[in-house]
Amino acid sequence: MKMKNWFSYLIVLSLFALVKPTSLWAVDFVHEVMPIIKKHCAECHAGPKKKGGLAMNTRTEFLAGGENGKVVIPGNAGKSLFIELILSDDDTEYMPPKGPRVSPEEVTVLKKWINDGMDWEPGITLSEANWEPPLKPRTVTLPAARNGRTHPIDRLLDAGLVELKQPLPPRATDAAFLRRATLDVIGLLPSPEDLKAFIADTSKNKRETLIDQLLAKEVAYADHWLTTWNDLLRNDYTGTGFITGGRKQITSWLYIALRENKPYDQFVRELIAPTADSSGFIDGIKWRGEVNASQTRDIQFAQNVSQVFLGINMKCASCHDSFIDRWTLSEAYNLASIYAEKPLELNRCDKPTGVMATPKWIFPELGNVDPKAGKSERLQQLAGLMTHPENGRFTRTVVNRVWHRLMGRGIVHPVDAMHTQPWNEDLLDYLAVRFSDDRYDLKKYIRFVMTSQAYQSQTVILEKELGADYVYAGPVAKRMTAEQLIDAIWQVTETHPKKAEAKVDRAERSPVQEAKAPPGKMKALPINAKWIWHQGAVGRKSELRHKFTLDAAPAAARLMATCDNAFKMKLNGKIVAASTDWTKPVYIDLAAHLVKGKNHIEVAAEMFGGAAGFICQLQISDAKVIVTDKGWEARSPGGTWAAAKELHPHGNGPWKKVLDPNGTTTPAVIADSPPVRAALVKNDFLMRSLGRPHRDQVVTTRPAELTTLQAIDLSNGEIFGGYLSRGAKNLMGRNLSGGQLNDWLFQFALSRKPTDAEQKVMAQISGDGSNLLMVEDLLWLVFMQPEFQMIR
Amino acid sequence: MTTHEKLVRRDFLKQLSAASAAALATKGTRAWANAEAVIHPRAKADSCILIWMAGGMAAPDTFDPKRYFPFKEGLEVERILSTFPAIDTAVDNIKITQGLEHIAQVMDRGTLIRSAVQPDLGHILHSRHQYHWHTGYVPPLTVAAPHIGAWMAKVLGPKNPVMPPFINIGQRLEGVGEKEELKAFTTGGFFGTEYGPMNLPYPKSAMQSVQPPKGMEPGRFGNRFEAYKKLIDANPNRDLMSDYQQQSMLRAMDNAYRLLNSKDKDAFNLGLEPAKSQAIYDTGRFGRGCLLARRLVESGARFVEVTTEYVPFVHWDTHEKGHETVARLKMEIDRPIAQLILDLEARGLLDRTLVVIASEFSRDMMIEGVPGSNAKDQSRARTDKLKEMKHYGLHRHFTGGTSVAMFGGGVKKGFLYGKTADERPLLAVENPVPVEDMHATIFTAMGISPKAAFEVEKRPFYATIDGTGKPVMDIFG
Repeated sequence: MKMKNWFSYLIVLSLFALVKPTSLWAVDFVHEVMPIIKKHCAECHAGPKKKGGLAMNTRTEFLAGGENGKVVIPGNAGKSLFIELILSDDDTEYMPPKGPRVSPEEVTVLKKWINDGMDWEPGITLSEANWEPPLKPRTVTLPAARNGRTHPIDRLLDAGLVELKQPLPPRATDAAFLRRATLDVIGLLPSPEDLKAFIADTSKNKRETLIDQLLAKEVAYADHWLTTWNDLLRNDYTGTGFITGGRKQITSWLYIALRENKPYDQFVRELIAPTADSSGFIDGIKWRGEVNASQTRDIQFAQNVSQVFLGINMKCASCHDSFIDRWTLSEAYNLASIYAEKPLELNRCDKPTGVMATPKWIFPELGNVDPKAGKSERLQQLAGLMTHPENGRFTRTVVNRVWHRLMGRGIVHPVDAMHTQPWNEDLLDYLAVRFSDDRYDLKKYIRFVMTSQAYQSQTVILEKELGADYVYAGPVAKRMTAEQLIDAIWQVTETHPKKAEAKVDRAERSPVQEAKAPPGKMKALPINAKWIWHQGAVGRKSELRHKFTLDAAPAAARLMATCDNAFKMKLNGKIVAASTDWTKPVYIDLAAHLVKGKNHIEVAAEMFGGAAGFICQLQISDAKVIVTDKGWEARSPGGTWAAAKELHPHGNGPWKKVLDPNGTTTPAVIADSPPVRAALVKNDFLMRSLGRPHRDQVVTTRPAELTTLQAIDLSNGEIFGGYLSRGAKNLMGRNLSGGQLNDWLFQFALSRKPTDAEQKVMAQISGDGSNLLMVEDLLWLVFMQPEFQMIR
Repeated sequence: MTTHEKLVRRDFLKQLSAASAAALATKGTRAWANAEAVIHPRAKADSCILIWMAGGMAAPDTFDPKRYFPFKEGLEVERILSTFPAIDTAVDNIKITQGLEHIAQVMDRGTLIRSAVQPDLGHILHSRHQYHWHTGYVPPLTVAAPHIGAWMAKVLGPKNPVMPPFINIGQRLEGVGEKEELKAFTTGGFFGTEYGPMNLPYPKSAMQSVQPPKGMEPGRFGNRFEAYKKLIDANPNRDLMSDYQQQSMLRAMDNAYRLLNSKDKDAFNLGLEPAKSQAIYDTGRFGRGCLLARRLVESGARFVEVTTEYVPFVHWDTHEKGHETVARLKMEIDRPIAQLILDLEARGLLDRTLVVIASEFSRDMMIEGVPGSNAKDQSRARTDKLKEMKHYGLHRHFTGGTSVAMFGGGVKKGFLYGKTADERPLLAVENPVPVEDMHATIFTAMGISPKAAFEVEKRPFYATIDGTGKPVMDIFG
């Protein structure tokens, strides 16, 4: 007996295979009837088209019939004009009048469907399925501004609201706006100080100023948007595939791209035609053993690239021609072939077909890849086609995703169903064109949306879960992501972890960088500095310091410094330089930090193993040069200050001539990194339970609702409980009275003060603010408020 | 807004409690509207306990005895089929192996299937086979497949409204090898976390999951929740916040509190079990897990999985020293499983509780995968002739014939189904049952159609792949 026979069932998601036992045959409306109607009837009877008065978008329309009365009678195909006309030989009346006739097999399906009662699945309409999304960008003429609301987004949205006789959503309060904007741009809560300052600010354009300030916080912005892009690009620090090397992170590349606000077209080009740092996305996940044909790395490539960048679901088409949109098996395989090392054979529902795929892009209107070119060249070409200026699908997809993040609901929704009709086509098309006109600048686009009155309005009150009947009435409140919630809790309780999992540069750039050192002005002087450390046992760490006086603040001051292995340097109390690689000294201009009179350098040096030493030379003028030598003071941490020990002159010792007198001064000034953020650490039990996904698959939306199991974790979970108890201790350190504590907590967590009624409830719990357990409970009460967990 | 409307809103926490139970089973993911209407079979059981022998339980050394040779230096490995002798059971035509004497005595309460089969996935990877067994789909997948426990939670909802419908006992998801792979199927998948498992890796401390946090006495816990409700009612912005979103969050909080404050949570507390009973079950974590499962089902849990725990190369995952390891495992499982059956029976619960003992595949002394498979040989004790005890055991993963035992839930009593060959390869030669048919059988017992489907990304996703699973009706009485 052959084993294989037992396993001849179809494996994995060959969901639409039309393998039905004939005896038990029942018509499947979506997969059997709909394709026939689409193929033969839609051209004249779908969407707004009603030839002969007959529309077939819905069951109701179909039953209503046309100019000649009813066309179908459920339960009686024999008496249905619909079938009669399909079968007719009279060329003045048979249907469809053009195109191929309905085949006998198709007629059998239709007859059976009518005889069985014409089941029509709720929610399925011919017009929606029939709406073909435009590919090219479309320039939209803006409607006139109403009520002085001139922002293009408002002009477009207000026109729709007026048409539906809907009121304009009222403006959100300053406090609500501040909280929403801060959470949306950088994923953090505004502090009570931020709140106070913003409310007190009387300038007219303070909202725009705030938006600009938030967008300028590049580290916090990257920390926050990393969550969204990790989900989209299936990037994580742990997960399936990593143990066998079948998967690669792109964290460093992604973080830098977000931090630098890399133009989105370039961003995508670097993902599709990647460097070693960004290849993790297109390479997908490799599993050991045999996988279904629709899950090879090549096919994953086709699926992920089309889903993430174009909002196309190629998952259906990777098994068979899709039934929900226009994509075919061969299109999916052709796209996959661009990535594939070897020619690909089409597999239908995991069975080889003998047909070979040709590397081809899915929108040939924009050009195509050269099938004869090598893989890397094909990927380059694909990257170009994807980001082609005429590829409106590409820009529409991303502006819609970001709109969804900011406004709570996609203009096309769900955001991956970009083949479905947007609720405001003009708005989507306008935003897409504007985005490409703005050189694919994501921050600029975010700013554009946020500066509209629409974004700055109150969120709508929902009576039920949003569905297909959605009508725009204002922004929709969002549930915080797991990362936002945890970040907010860490902020209030000061319980951030010490270490990030993501290996990324989060140091805030100091103002020195902007001050632009005058390069090359200073003469290259010989290096007279010595390698120094403290006296006695070397230990792992050394503290070094030096004081000196200047007659005037210098115009330029060039620092050369390095340490085996790492150092952080403060000048007059501010961190100005740091390095963790002794082979790469820092060359920076410190003029902005030096003052007339006394100056003070402090260095924290660390050795990871092996030799230890720190060296620096600070050139203030040709005559005035500060060098490390025994004139510096040094100690092991906590020890007594004494003269530093000179280890070697520059050029000697294990380090050779590591400082280069001609080294180019770079503005790579490093300061402390801000506290660790949730997106930068591994997924844990709490975050997982709050909806941070296992990123095996591309994820484009997070769950919108709190579930019971999550609520249990938030009621008694250990990780969360730890934040509360540590947080309570930290808060006690502020020495606030009960009332002050409540005020402070509400202002931080909710961006408002508690009302008297709330104060009363809170007072019962917080007492005078001196009981640790009570403060813990207070924190819990506030964190569990829907108002806290929502961005409204 | 009228005063009346305001009053209605003020009271909504009370209303939540009534509405919450009903809301669970219907929320979220939409059922796929089949043209062929799904008719759920009449349920034979209300609860299901899956006893999961993680790591590949060797059928010839447990429920399917074959030619046995005791250890003897120089013995040719290829002659050995079983490393344990057969023993009698309470059923004449069923023999199982030494070490399972207690289970042998309850075989007359259930059905033994000896012909479960798994696909050959090329390279045997426990996590992929376990994913397949727990979800019905072979990974990788384009969507996250729900665990069968999540299917029960989704389709049937909780049996007791305060009791989480899907509880998973004994498997750590942190600190063990392949943890990410385990997490990938220990989930509600696209149904969402509402239908995902409540994980209780340590039965002894299960109570901690449902009681107020450590160090918080009940009075304080209650006060905290009371204050919470008052604070919600005092919130000046509640009318500006979307009611739907707010209510769903409050409902979850309320559900959680009700469990944490209910009498039913005692089910999680093994300390409340009589000492005598505790002693019978207490063979280790797994045994205690069986006791916990019984207590949970008594209190109305819908689906409970208890596992010996998957840790690569540990427990049933015998790549060497198989005989010794299995002898130890039998000590751990034999009494608790048998006692679970007897306890359920004594409480009148067995008829409406389906207990399933299963594993991702079997093992063999010689064959990796199935004959002809190109799966890599993963034995760590390769030898032609036995030289030391390390060599004695079933060290290769075998997918061609596996045993599954079922008790209660309407299955026949003292019934044997399917058969494997008497000589190697020990393939299922009668009535092979692939994973989707096994699931169809379990789902059918629980009153879920194997064709039940939910919509994901506008496609149907079926309880058994493509809705093709066929229940093995022969095993039902």
